[in-house]
Amino acid sequence: MRPEFTLHDLLYNSLASDPGKPAVVDGDASYTYEDLERESSALGAALADSGVGRGDRVGVLVEKSWEATVAMLAASRIGAAYVNVNPLFKAPQVEYLAGDCDIRVMIGDTHKLDELSPKTVETAFYRGAKPEGQSARFYVDVEEALRGDGLKRDRRVSESDLGTILYTSGSTGMPKGVATSQRNVVVGAQIVSEYLENTPQDRILSALPLNFDAGMSQFTTSLRAGATLYLLRSRLPGDLLKALRRHEITGVTGVPPLWALLIRGAKSLRENPLTHLRYLANTGGRIPQANLDELRGLLEPSGTRIFLMCDLTEAFRSTYLAPDEIWRSSPEQGNCIGKAIPNTDIMVITKEGEEAAPGESGELVHRGPTVAMGYWGNEEATRKAYRPNPLAPPELLDVERVVYSGDTVKRDEEGYLYFLGREDAMIKNQGYRLSPEEVENLLLGSGLVHEACAFGVENPAVGQDVIAVISLRNGAEEGAVDRVREHVIKNGPPYMVPRKILVRDELPKTGSGKIDRKGISSAYANG
Amino acid sequence: MVPENGDARSAIRGWLQENVTGGRDVPNDEALIDNGVMTSLQTVELVVFLEDTFGIVVEDEEFDEENFGSVEAIARLVESKAA
Repeated sequence: MRPEFTLHDLLYNSLASDPGKPAVVDGDASYTYEDLERESSALGAALADSGVGRGDRVGVLVEKSWEATVAMLAASRIGAAYVNVNPLFKAPQVEYLAGDCDIRVMIGDTHKLDELSPKTVETAFYRGAKPEGQSARFYVDVEEALRGDGLKRDRRVSESDLGTILYTSGSTGMPKGVATSQRNVVVGAQIVSEYLENTPQDRILSALPLNFDAGMSQFTTSLRAGATLYLLRSRLPGDLLKALRRHEITGVTGVPPLWALLIRGAKSLRENPLTHLRYLANTGGRIPQANLDELRGLLEPSGTRIFLMCDLTEAFRSTYLAPDEIWRSSPEQGNCIGKAIPNTDIMVITKEGEEAAPGESGELVHRGPTVAMGYWGNEEATRKAYRPNPLAPPELLDVERVVYSGDTVKRDEEGYLYFLGREDAMIKNQGYRLSPEEVENLLLGSGLVHEACAFGVENPAVGQDVIAVISLRNGAEEGAVDRVREHVIKNGPPYMVPRKILVRDELPKTGSGKIDRKGISSAYANG
Repeated sequence: MVPENGDARSAIRGWLQENVTGGRDVPNDEALIDNGVMTSLQTVELVVFLEDTFGIVVEDEEFDEENFGSVEAIARLVESKAA
C-alpha cells in the first residue's frame, strides 16, 4: 500500500490489488482499474502537451461518463486541478467560471463547447464531432488523446496542492468556487469510505452529478475501496430502479427528490425487494418525514441501512446520522443531523464566540482535515467563512482555520446536533443550495426588470420552491413576464428558474433602502 | 376534453410550452433529458398530466429515458397504451 496523499494514489492502491477489476461501468461499457491507469496517463500527457502546468485548472464539461472520471485522474497526475462543471449550467455560467478560475484547457462535449462564446478558453478537448464554433483557439480530439502513449512519469504532486475547485451558488450573483486541496479530497474519501464500510465487493451507483461535492465523493470512495462505480445519468424512476436491480447495486447516495422518485416504484419494491442494497445515503437537504418513513418501510426489511448525511462544500463533508440513530430525527424532536464525521470536530459557537451549552443555539463551526483552502479569488468571502479556531489555545500563534458554516444549530445532552436554520437567505432547491442574488441577477439580465427579489418557499417535494417578485422597467409591454421567464430558462440552469414570477409596481424597501427580502417573503407566505 | 390520440404530440408540446420552456415550441425529435430541457421533477408532473389527459397508467419501469427522451417517444408510449 502506498500512503494516500493524492487522488491518483487511491488509483494505484486499487490497481495493485486487482488490476483487472471493473472500476467504472458506463452504459454497456465496463472499464478496469488498468484501463483507468492507462487512459488517465494518456490524457494527462496530452494535457501536459497542451501546456497544462502544475497548479493550472482543467475544466470538465463532459456529461457524467467514463471520460469524465478519466479526466479527474489525468489532471491529478500532472498536478493540475480539475473543475467539474455543472452539466445544467448554460453558457453565461460556464463562461463566468472559465474566466473566474482561468481554465487552461476545457474538456467538453462538442455541443456544450459550441454554445460558448468565441475564445472562451485557449484550448478545448472535444468529445464528439469536431466543434464548429470558435469557443477555443486550439482543438484536440479526446478520443485520440486517450489512445496516446501516456506519461513517462507522473509529476511531483503533494497533498497540499490544489486538487479541485467545487463551484456553488454565490451571493455576488455568480457561482463561487471552493478551492479544495488534494488532502481534502483524499481525507474526504477516507472518512466516507470508513463509515460506509466500503469494500472491493461494493457496486456503487453514481446518481449525483460529479460537480457536486457529494457526487464526486462516490467516485473517490469507490476508487479508494477498489469497488465498481456504475454511472447513471438519468434521474427518472424507471432508470433508477432498473440500474439498482440490473447491477445489483450495494450502495447509493442521493438527494431528497431522488427518494421521492424511488418511492414512486413502491409496488415494484415490495414485490421484488432490493436485497443487494447494503446502504442508502441521503445528502443535500432533509427528507420529508413521510418520505423517510416510507423509504424505511420499503428498504429496511430487506437489509438496507439508511445514512443521513449533511454536507458542507466548504469542508467537503460534515456530519452524519448513523442508521441506528435515525429515530432521533422526527417532527417532534427536530431535524437531527447527527454527529461529526470521523476525524472531525463540530463546534457550536455563540455570537459571543464561546462554545454553546447543551440546548443553546449557535453557529455550526467545522474543524478538521477536510476544511478547504478558501473561496477561489474571493478574499472577502474567504475571510468571513474561514476563520481562526476560536477554541484553540492562545499559545498556538498561527492558529488553524475552521469553517463558519452559517447554519444555526444546537446540541443536546448526548452530543447530537440539530439544525435550526440559516443566517443567510440561501434557497434549498432539488438538492442545490442556491443564492437568491444569483436568481435576481439572472432576472435583471433580461433587461426588462427594474427590481427583483427571490426567495424560497417550503415545498416538501423539492425542499423549497424559488419564488420571484419583480417590478418591470418603464415601457415594458404586455407579455414582458413571459419574455423574462424565457430569458431565465435560456440563460440559467433549470433549478434556478422561479416557480412563480409575480409583478408589483414597486418592491418594499428596508430602512436602509435595500429591497426587503424578509418582508416580501413573509408577506408571500402569509398570502 | 380528451384529445384524440393523433393530438398526443401537440398536447405534450403544449404542456411543455406552458410548464417548462417558457413559450418555446419544442420539436418532436428534440432530446428532452440529455439536453436538460426537463428536470426529473418536471417529468413526474408530465406523467401526471398524461395519466389525467389520456386516461392511461405509466408503470414504474416504463418511466425511463427511453420512453421520455423526446416528444415523439412520449407520444408513442401514450399511443401504445391508448390503442
